[in-house]
Amino acid sequence: MAIEMFRGFEFKRRDTLIHRLDPRTKLIMSLSILVSSLIFDKIIPLLLVFLISFALISISKSVTEWYKSIKGLSVLFLIILIVNSFAYSLSFAIAMCIRLVNFVTAFSLFFLTTHPDDLAHALISLRIPFEIAFAFSMATRYVPTLAREAQIIAEAQMSRGLELQKGGFLQRVRNLIPLIVPLVICSIKRALSVAESLESRCFGAVKKRTYLHELKFGLWDFLMSFAFLGLVIWSAVTTFLVGYPRVFTLELPI
Amino acid sequence: MIEVVDVWYRYPEGSVALRGVSLQIERGEFIAIMGENGAGKTTLIKHFNGLLKPQRGEVFVDGINTKESSIAELSKKVGVVFQNPDHQLFSSTVEEEIMFSLNNLNIDADEARRRMEWVLKLLDLERYRKRSPFSLSGGEKKRLALATILCMKPKVLVLDEPTMGQDFEQKMKLAELLQNLVRKGTTVVVVTHDVEFAAMYFPRVVLMARGRIIADGVPEDVLTNDEILRRASLIPPQATKIAWEVSRELEDFPRKIIRVKELYEAVISLVR
Repeated sequence: MAIEMFRGFEFKRRDTLIHRLDPRTKLIMSLSILVSSLIFDKIIPLLLVFLISFALISISKSVTEWYKSIKGLSVLFLIILIVNSFAYSLSFAIAMCIRLVNFVTAFSLFFLTTHPDDLAHALISLRIPFEIAFAFSMATRYVPTLAREAQIIAEAQMSRGLELQKGGFLQRVRNLIPLIVPLVICSIKRALSVAESLESRCFGAVKKRTYLHELKFGLWDFLMSFAFLGLVIWSAVTTFLVGYPRVFTLELPI
Repeated sequence: MIEVVDVWYRYPEGSVALRGVSLQIERGEFIAIMGENGAGKTTLIKHFNGLLKPQRGEVFVDGINTKESSIAELSKKVGVVFQNPDHQLFSSTVEEEIMFSLNNLNIDADEARRRMEWVLKLLDLERYRKRSPFSLSGGEKKRLALATILCMKPKVLVLDEPTMGQDFEQKMKLAELLQNLVRKGTTVVVVTHDVEFAAMYFPRVVLMARGRIIADGVPEDVLTNDEILRRASLIPPQATKIAWEVSRELEDFPRKIIRVKELYEAVISLVR
């Protein structure tokens, strides 16, 4: 299950409007969805934000991957729903669930449609040093590799008679040691060899570097960026200045 | 011992790894499975101990359908040694590493101790018993990985690429060890890219390509069939290549030669 969940954040090469957008635009879009979901705390406006972000997911043809990550978090949704409906009200609990769905959707939207290299690009254009941006994009690049490696390790240990699902809670936690130790060691080894191969290719030798692809802000990028910045401004204004319209405050009867 | 009946397997990512594979492995056989990367070799051997269950078709181990048994239960019968030992070593000493497998099978302390001593000696790891597995060399780690499986005394031993990164001497030692196990009744299945290794030691070779078995027989037939080798992207053993070259000049020179010794005998008999 845990491994499946990461699939929802793994870049898939596709040719859609969203995939072609500038990574900075996508960053703005995802952050806007995050921020306005944080500002709103009622069902209707949160649902509105959800519809917008879901539309984008459908345009990017990534609904299956998105659904996998939502499904992976189903336990968390259940906890939020139960805890909040006891602590506050069912309406609030549902609103919080939608908020979490929006968060996941925002992250999926960005990571499913942005190549790790473009991610680094976007960060650099935000004046983050190349080394840090590169490290960040490398980290996301290795998430699926790590997931695959974890699977192989689990299979190797199961072949030695390890039963992951056996025993009480403590035993199950202990069962993870034979998985985690090799995973950490393999990761460190890989990090060292990646570092060596980077250095042998003159990583960081000069301050200013050139790039294979130059980022270009097109018409769609301007449109989308303005639309989503508009969304944030609108959500802030309705929440803090004007007050919600009546429909926004509708709640469940219980 | 192992019966694979028309097995199909497709990975969740969408690639079809096995397309109707059928294979019969008898007790005490010594088999090499060969083929290019992505031919489905590793996918096939993962079916032997239930790590993967066939989506279509059936796999029987010792008469038991793998679909009706757990991996832990099957791994008592079929021991699979994976390619990369780094994917399974985690203990602080070599001894503990071996004990981990034995404890998983709930084997009593005396017997476990005996088996550990046996396997340490067999794989020439006695002097490392208190060392950390991570401090061992690549070849030693591979031997330790084999030890952690061998100590469970499986009826079938399956090795994925055991010769990779091993020098010639280690390869010979490994082959001797495997031959000894076969003599004592263990069934041994080895996945390998190493044509010379397969030609030297194995009485039966199975060739795979694109999820299918394309040849299955004695190496003298399988590894000297030009067309089949090309389909599996394999190059024939060096002795075979020489025999082919010679047979182009001399018509009745034997073409089904795979070992240096046979080549030598053929040349000598020609000269005489």
